[in-house]
Amino acid sequence: MSKPPTRTIKVGYLARVEGETGLTVTVRRGRVERVGLEIFEPPRFFEAFLRGRAFGEAPDITARICGICPIAYQMSAVHAMEDALDVHVGGTLRALRRLLYCGEWIESHALHVYMLHAPDFLGYPDAISMARDHREGLQRGLRLKKAGNAIVSLLGGREIHPVNVRVGGFYRTPGRAELAGLTDDLAWARDAALETVRWVAGFDCPEFEPDYEFVALRHPDEYPMNEGRIASSAGLDVSAHDYDAHFVEEHVARSNALHSRLRERGPYLVGPMARYALNAERLSPLAREAAHDAGLPPVCRNPFRSIVVRAIDILYACDEALRLVAAYEPPTRPCVEAAPRAATGYGATEAPRGLLYHRYRLATDGSIEDAKIVPPTSQNQKSIEDDLARFVAPRLALPQAEVTRQCEQAVRNYDPCISCATHFLQLRIEEA
Amino acid sequence: MQARVIALGQAAAGDDGVGVAVLEALRARGVPAGVELARAPEDVALISLLETRAPVVLVDAVLARPAGEVLELGLADLERPGAPAISTHGIGVPEAVELARTLAPGAVTSSIRVVAVTIERPTRYEQRLSPAVAAALPRAVERVLALVEG
Repeated sequence: MSKPPTRTIKVGYLARVEGETGLTVTVRRGRVERVGLEIFEPPRFFEAFLRGRAFGEAPDITARICGICPIAYQMSAVHAMEDALDVHVGGTLRALRRLLYCGEWIESHALHVYMLHAPDFLGYPDAISMARDHREGLQRGLRLKKAGNAIVSLLGGREIHPVNVRVGGFYRTPGRAELAGLTDDLAWARDAALETVRWVAGFDCPEFEPDYEFVALRHPDEYPMNEGRIASSAGLDVSAHDYDAHFVEEHVARSNALHSRLRERGPYLVGPMARYALNAERLSPLAREAAHDAGLPPVCRNPFRSIVVRAIDILYACDEALRLVAAYEPPTRPCVEAAPRAATGYGATEAPRGLLYHRYRLATDGSIEDAKIVPPTSQNQKSIEDDLARFVAPRLALPQAEVTRQCEQAVRNYDPCISCATHFLQLRIEEA
Repeated sequence: MQARVIALGQAAAGDDGVGVAVLEALRARGVPAGVELARAPEDVALISLLETRAPVVLVDAVLARPAGEVLELGLADLERPGAPAISTHGIGVPEAVELARTLAPGAVTSSIRVVAVTIERPTRYEQRLSPAVAAALPRAVERVLALVEG
């Protein structure tokens, strides 16, 4: 008996995602048999590094996991530690943390929307080629990113791997005039973000709407960043303490990243679309109106339109940052002191790419006995594979280069961060 | 401004931070009036720093053996990756220069030299240089000074 025909589509290395990943789609007799995301960036063992270190070192160590979203790691770390040590951070310190997170959302999303994802929609291989025809757009994107970086620099001490965050608050808090210095750039950024929403809302997107279970924080009063319960579109509503009871991580032989799934229901999706689906009514009036004008429904299921939702995130973050800066009164002290004790703490915050969970078990002296970190890309990995299987099936008749290009674009919908997942793309489509 | 020296690299990644170490050594020693010392914490940040009429000297680490050699390179010498290499962690130096020139034609310096120190691939987080790379600091400083005083 002769073997069925074999077809292979291979992308040696997926550009415009962070980290090193390959994707193999196996096709047998014209049907997609398997989609595998192979993450070959080596594991980085941060959870092991943390063992034996003092609780206060966690924000600085975990910030090293990612150069783009260090704030997310710091925030989840400090919230988990404060949960363990029964420390409550409120008032201005809480507001400053929220402002810092706004900075990270702006810089991370601006980079992805303008430099990484927009070229896909406009038919360019990269941002440099796009810049030749869309110079003003790229300039706007880079200036937006700088506005986000300015917040992170001021509150975090520096743009990359900030050093000013500590359990209980900050090492130093800024004066009013220092924060007020951000206002003009943020006002420009808010206008530019609104322009960004209008720009990306005009991009052509394929019809593609998987039935995701969205998972994100939900907070009674605000669009979630640092606080909230873990909620899902299928009715999950739990605290971070219950994360492990509902979510499980599994090793997959082809990948150096763990795959997460809901114990009861399987794959789920975190990130801007999940946040929006579960919290749209908490957006500021300006962001809500922009979403409406961009044609976004209350729940957006088309991952290709994630670029619009991401732009709404940028707009909201600029709007919220301006509000926080205007309301700022310097705190009487930069932090709440934390005393060590034996306990386990849990923290979940909304990184630009979605829910980021940390859990730490501390010894009596406050040293870390055990750490667990679940980044957004690990949580989305199974959904990315499932999406690609559905997406590629009706496109198999396309020329190899075109189906490969479309698959790469589909993966970039999720802004995967492989170093965070420890682990991201090379595309191979094999007919076996 | 007579010249701008821009350091690249990650100080917490061992020898990858040699550019930053050279910048600190230049700051400690003192540079001629009109020479500006700057640090690009990531390659995207490099784009706006290239907008100057003054000559620019980039100081960075390059992967090559043996470690600790000081090289003076032009942009053309920097190896370009085969694939478009823009990732969420930024872009490479040649891409940053090309993007800067595309976005602001005429505003970007026409003179870019690179003082590079050869390093082995960093394999761990540490905030210090290996002995071989640390020993190259004085030579790298002299090479930068020769370029900006040239």
